[in-house]
Amino acid sequence: MYGHAGKILRVNLTDSKISTINTEDYAEWIGGHGLGAAVWFDLVKDKTITSGFDPGNVLAIMPGLFSGTLVPASCRTQMLGVQVYSWPCEWFGRSNAGGRFANMLKWAGYDGLIIEGVAEKPTWINIVDDDVRLNDAGSLWGMDTHTAQRAIFKDVLGSDAHGNWVKTKGNRLTTQRPAVLTIGPAGENGSRLAVVLTEHGNAFGNGGYGGIWGAKNLKAISVLGTGGVPVADPQALLEARLWAQKHYATDYDDPKIWPPLGITISHFGGYANANWPIDPRSKPAGCTGCHINCQPRTSTGVANEAVCGDAGFYKAWEKKAHGSATDISAQAVDLTQRLGINSKGFQNWLLYLTILYDKGVLGPGKEIDTTLPVDKIGEAEFIEDFLYRIAYRKEIGNDLAEGFPRAAQKWGRLEEDLKTGILPMHSWGYSIHYDGRCEAYWWYASMIESRDVNMHDFNIAAYRIGQEISSGKKPLVPAEQIADWFGKLEPYHDPEMMNFATDNLYSAHMARTTAWLLHYSYFWKHSCGLCSTAFSDLVNPNGPGNRGLTPEGELKFYQAVTGRKLTFEASMEIGRKIFNLDKAIWTLQGRHRDMEQFPEYMYSLPSIGNPSATVGQPQPYYMPTKINGVWDYRNVAGRHLDRDKFEQWKTRFYELEGWDARTGWQTRSLLKSLGMQKVMDELARHRKLN
Amino acid sequence: MSQLPLSKAYLLVDPKKCAGCGSCMLACSLAHEGESNLSLSRIQVFSDAFGRYPTDVAIHFCRQCENPLCYLACPLPDEALCISQETGVRFIDGKNCTGCYQCVEACPYTPSRIIFRTDNNIALKCDLCLNTPYWQAAGKQACVETCPMKALKYTVKKPAGPDDYIVNLRGEGWAKLRFPTD
Repeated sequence: MYGHAGKILRVNLTDSKISTINTEDYAEWIGGHGLGAAVWFDLVKDKTITSGFDPGNVLAIMPGLFSGTLVPASCRTQMLGVQVYSWPCEWFGRSNAGGRFANMLKWAGYDGLIIEGVAEKPTWINIVDDDVRLNDAGSLWGMDTHTAQRAIFKDVLGSDAHGNWVKTKGNRLTTQRPAVLTIGPAGENGSRLAVVLTEHGNAFGNGGYGGIWGAKNLKAISVLGTGGVPVADPQALLEARLWAQKHYATDYDDPKIWPPLGITISHFGGYANANWPIDPRSKPAGCTGCHINCQPRTSTGVANEAVCGDAGFYKAWEKKAHGSATDISAQAVDLTQRLGINSKGFQNWLLYLTILYDKGVLGPGKEIDTTLPVDKIGEAEFIEDFLYRIAYRKEIGNDLAEGFPRAAQKWGRLEEDLKTGILPMHSWGYSIHYDGRCEAYWWYASMIESRDVNMHDFNIAAYRIGQEISSGKKPLVPAEQIADWFGKLEPYHDPEMMNFATDNLYSAHMARTTAWLLHYSYFWKHSCGLCSTAFSDLVNPNGPGNRGLTPEGELKFYQAVTGRKLTFEASMEIGRKIFNLDKAIWTLQGRHRDMEQFPEYMYSLPSIGNPSATVGQPQPYYMPTKINGVWDYRNVAGRHLDRDKFEQWKTRFYELEGWDARTGWQTRSLLKSLGMQKVMDELARHRKLN
Repeated sequence: MSQLPLSKAYLLVDPKKCAGCGSCMLACSLAHEGESNLSLSRIQVFSDAFGRYPTDVAIHFCRQCENPLCYLACPLPDEALCISQETGVRFIDGKNCTGCYQCVEACPYTPSRIIFRTDNNIALKCDLCLNTPYWQAAGKQACVETCPMKALKYTVKKPAGPDDYIVNLRGEGWAKLRFPTD
């Protein structure tokens, strides 16, 4: 099986049993997420499991099909299992990280790693090719994520520095350090905000998987792989890589600077952003095999690898407090990395705390009684205190470690704050990221899934291009051209998928937009391991006519790695099948149509046009729209969703997916057509099949 | 002993521009051995995620030495460890390598620039892509072509001294992106 290592490693922490599963038995599930979800479905006896902390929860840690090969931006690992962050239900979920781990695990000979049970005492897993051991993590417990990794480097190699060739027990040579996943104090203390981190700042951020590791007494997993992954056609793979780089990637000696696309999200031509670190002397660094290398390496080493919102979550607060962002913001990021805390959404969550403080609800002797120095927000004193309280569950930190929706619920504020929108969450307790009142599919897909969908594919093609108007520029690609490109894309051939006019928000077209995003992501990103920073590539200023390499590029890579020809339509159908496996698990966990509802403010408060905030200064939110037959980018800020019409959209989406419109459950005919007999039987046994 | 011919081909590197992604290693082993495998790459990159720019990355590669100790240590010179008559590049003919390990130990650099395949006891070294069974692209080097940062450069001019293999390849494009060029 080209592209595969051939087996999946299975480690039971309860009885220390180590075994393997043949990957070939799950060949139809491709790799990564598909493979992991299929194994999870088989291993978890009671799939009605409603808590990620349940000892029966199984975690699948899965490199993609392309991981370990020369396919660009393919070093991603998916972590699957019942998450603990999502609110009010702990749904089966996914989280994703870069770094070196995916490749190292494949090179050690494994297409995935399954973690079962709970260890009796703190444990770390040491994998060096075929040699797999469960080690006592007593001396690592309590360490921050960086110190723990260095200690493991030393344990595995005899030194924490790179040096000479090292011979493994299997008589193989390497100069490389192992790749280590680890948790910090936040994970050890069972926080729902805890990440599993690797390297300096790559993390499985969403889902609270770090807290689950803590509950399992699992401190770290180290893997050193010295092998390779067989590919069908090395020559074709090298040629495909060079073709993609030549025609679509940024030429670092002659880059095209295009501000909206200059940040490295979801297009193959992105480049590293010197603005992310607060350090004029940083440089790009990257995950194994990447062609973009978006992660900064700084001159101080502080906040290495922090990108996007995570890199700057404290900058605005600092600017507000004393006029500029300084090393305090970088140190704040670094501290989240070391303590193992997910800072995604912190900008919003901090705003929420300040609003409660200003209202006189939160503070010393107040309704929410805390000594947290909110008046010092923007200063080092506040952020250090805030992060340590969360990591060690001290005082108000004990509430916040549960995540903001649960904290608000405990404080008796949830209903009111979701009505006024000051608690800025969208689906399943996740912080607002892009505004679904303007960019509907983002919220729709998040609701249909179990987390913030966090897939920027259309966000570039629609929002980022349109936003050029705000700075007085002509958009890179006209709205009509974007629509035309979508009109040519499999499987829907529907230009109206890009029409964000109000009268199209609840249409069958927008159902297709949502389905395309999910099916594409489940196959190419979650299962093949492609990074969402580079794929899909629909609009790309380096490409011919500004068109990106999707779907031609993905198909070239697939054929070179596997030796099999695949149509894009077929890949989308497999993505649909993998997505439907997750859907079946959610249904078994208790998901029903009636639960798929947005918070109240989304139906009543107009968008202020800020993609990731609910309060503040209004601003325009340009999106492609077709009004009276004319395509253009138009400002769609100022609107809110219509509850009844959203219900109509749900019906359209369910029907498109082949689900029952009344319950939102899958139908027998759908699962038959997808060849999912086992899943069908399980749902039928639970009487959750229409 | 008569003077050995100088190599007419060299690799130059810029560690300050290198992103540590290891794409060069993946391409090198793929072109030569048919699979991406860091242990079989003739170029070895150390990238320290906990490091500080500009000392976070080190690139270890064959210098095509004027006085190649690997060649001199080989018990089968010109059969196993050879010098290309055309380019002067020092390379290993795997068919004749006995796996004696002497070239690995003779290399004066750490880590040794001679790679060793333990599964079939054959030494490997950078041949500047003279012989790439899995990549037909005459005159090109897989690492140089694949490096997305353009941090590697092929040259026919012999670097004057050991320090001259390390060069500054950060030009206007790099500055345009506001990364340091000094």
